[in-house]
Amino acid sequence: MSEKNSASSGQAPRRGLTRRAFNAGAAVSAALVSSGAAMRLARAQDAALKVGVLLPRSGMQGAVGQACQRGVDLAPELLRQLGYSVKLDLVSVDFESNVDQARAQAEKLIAGGANLLIGAFDSGATSAIAQVAEQKGVPLVINIAAAPQITQQGYKYVFRNFPTAPTLVRDGLSLMKDFFVATGHTPKTAVYMHVNDTFGQAMNGAIGKMLPGLNMPFKVVENISYDPAARDLSVEVAKAKASGAELVMLTSRLNDAILLVREMVKQRYSPMGIISPGSPGMYEDQFYATLGKYSDYCTTNVPWYNPHEPMAAHVLSAFHKRWPKDRPAGYIFNIGFTFEAILIAADAYARAKSTNGKALADALRTTHIDKHMMVGGPIVFDAQGQNENVHSVVLENLQQQPRVVLPVAAAEAKPVFPMVPWNQRS
Amino acid sequence: MTGPRLGLWCDGVPRRALVLCGILLAVLLAAPLALNSYLLSVLILVLYFAYTGQAWNVMMGFAGQLSLGHSLYIGLGAYTAAALFMHFGINPWVGSLAAMVVAAAFGAAVGYLAFRFGIGGVYFALLTIAFAEFTRIGFDHFPWVGGAGGLFLKVVGKGRFDLLHLRGSAVMFYYLLLALTVAAFLLCHRLMRSKIGYYWLAIREDQDAAQALGIHTFRYKMYAVLLSSAMTALGGVFYAFYYNNLFPEQIFSMERSVEIVLGPIIGGLGTLFGPLLGAFVLTVLAEGLRDLLSALGLALPGATQVFYGVCLLAVIVFLPDGIWPGLRRLLGLDRAAGPGPKREG
Repeated sequence: MSEKNSASSGQAPRRGLTRRAFNAGAAVSAALVSSGAAMRLARAQDAALKVGVLLPRSGMQGAVGQACQRGVDLAPELLRQLGYSVKLDLVSVDFESNVDQARAQAEKLIAGGANLLIGAFDSGATSAIAQVAEQKGVPLVINIAAAPQITQQGYKYVFRNFPTAPTLVRDGLSLMKDFFVATGHTPKTAVYMHVNDTFGQAMNGAIGKMLPGLNMPFKVVENISYDPAARDLSVEVAKAKASGAELVMLTSRLNDAILLVREMVKQRYSPMGIISPGSPGMYEDQFYATLGKYSDYCTTNVPWYNPHEPMAAHVLSAFHKRWPKDRPAGYIFNIGFTFEAILIAADAYARAKSTNGKALADALRTTHIDKHMMVGGPIVFDAQGQNENVHSVVLENLQQQPRVVLPVAAAEAKPVFPMVPWNQRS
Repeated sequence: MTGPRLGLWCDGVPRRALVLCGILLAVLLAAPLALNSYLLSVLILVLYFAYTGQAWNVMMGFAGQLSLGHSLYIGLGAYTAAALFMHFGINPWVGSLAAMVVAAAFGAAVGYLAFRFGIGGVYFALLTIAFAEFTRIGFDHFPWVGGAGGLFLKVVGKGRFDLLHLRGSAVMFYYLLLALTVAAFLLCHRLMRSKIGYYWLAIREDQDAAQALGIHTFRYKMYAVLLSSAMTALGGVFYAFYYNNLFPEQIFSMERSVEIVLGPIIGGLGTLFGPLLGAFVLTVLAEGLRDLLSALGLALPGATQVFYGVCLLAVIVFLPDGIWPGLRRLLGLDRAAGPGPKREG
């Protein structure tokens, strides 16, 4: 048609591309390409990042898994408040405290389109999930799991925002020295009492290895292990009292911690302090509810939230709003680390602008989050995917509340040591 | 030569059963081609429980000795092969032999203590639990294998296939486990039709009568324990190299022992297909329930286990002999079966 029109006008037909046509075409193409790219970018940002959260919400570790789940439940609203506009589709899965299920459920989540995984509290389950994540090229952000080997496998898609077991123990022991320095009182002798379950034995082994190298100011004069399910600990407490130790170093669970303190009150064994280098029990609701004034001054060195961080205040406020009858102390450790794992995922997605596993992993590798909830430096991952900036605090029970007393930067109260003897408490 | 050899394995097996077995095997062989990785991992679990259930069945289903501590042999097998591989670089196939020997030695200790001193029934079951428990505690304090902190094997990179060192993808482990399950099935089939199988059956049904007939009950019960423990240890080796991490608390747990036992009980105790069918039903039931409850918005923690328990109760109440005997009748396989022990399948 155009050829015909050209011929009728008496001009030679143009077979090649004119400059004008080329320029117009180039402009249209550029517009199309750029709008396409912009649309893709917009689509990537609009698309939700599907995050699979694997937790042991039933079975042996059910209570802890459910506490972690609270962090997941609070996350969407909190992220909005914190200004994260990325969309997250959080899919929680219960692996029933079973390693076989953990692996199968990770496969299922990935087959169902999960772009990133979070979990899984238990080291065995986390290790099984990590293998699947690595094989599929889907990043895994570990909320809680302490076995150091998980990040020593050369994985490219595994990131952990939780201290390893040796770091936990080393922090737990080192903070004792800081505690004594800060209060100006140092015990000369200690008795180490610990549960004889897997956790207690692991702690006992690690402490036994680390104590000589840390130059602790006290000498451990007695090592007493006991059954965490014991109904009576009078013999153990009598043995501790007989040792004359000035400090009780304790690795406990909840029920035995209550039994021990009760028995110490009954036997009038009032040491300078009861300090746990990192175990549950003494900062849990039931401990305060059962022991009342006798729960005070018991101390635990454990990773904890920073009371001076605005983000922690946000989380606590959201917690009180959602579960007004519950006290956060028994949950906050699990909530904090689980929420931070989701925060890390959201931050990586915001920077990666893609749901692609490799892009997300690259973004995770360059994570640098200054403002976060738990005590420690900025969240950054080393070459192994480990965040080495998570640190423990000294958490002392004061007025039947867990209070951070050290490090000073995170402290909300002054440390008290030696503790007030049992019979002088009002 | 082929005829008599085949005859050895197919003796008394109805043609229809052979055809169904062939179809089942073909389906299982082709499964990785059609299934996604999640369904493949479920199928791996099915085969794992089928294999370990078959091993347990030798002791309880065939010889009538109730063991509730089979996690002991899983754990010993897993730890032996994994530790040899990790510390000395010993090939897991060689490690498997060591694992079987170690597990069989423990089995021999359990068996000798029990059978020599006439411990039977629930007391024997308690003894097996006790052995599993004290071994767990022992491994918690055994630093050479990581103690309570666990033993971790180096995980392989994506796409590696190394059958010699059992380092590879899920598909490799699937076929390995399928081979193990088939081998265990054939071995048990052969044993059931041999003198030892008939002796075990006699001991299971009435030990005193068997002894009166001149069967050396101590010896044959020991054979059952040794074989069952060694077979179970192989399942442990698979577990170690598939999951690449071992914790005494998990591998020697009572829960694991119960998981092993459930398949054969639900499928049909003392039958060949019982462990396979039971493992399939239980695993698929658990996965199906999980999906169903999730779709109904009832995916509360623990809800799956509650429904699972109800389904198990229903099977036990309405099918006390397990699912396989009824299914066998339904498939018409019992009519054509030749002479053989009762409840054989």
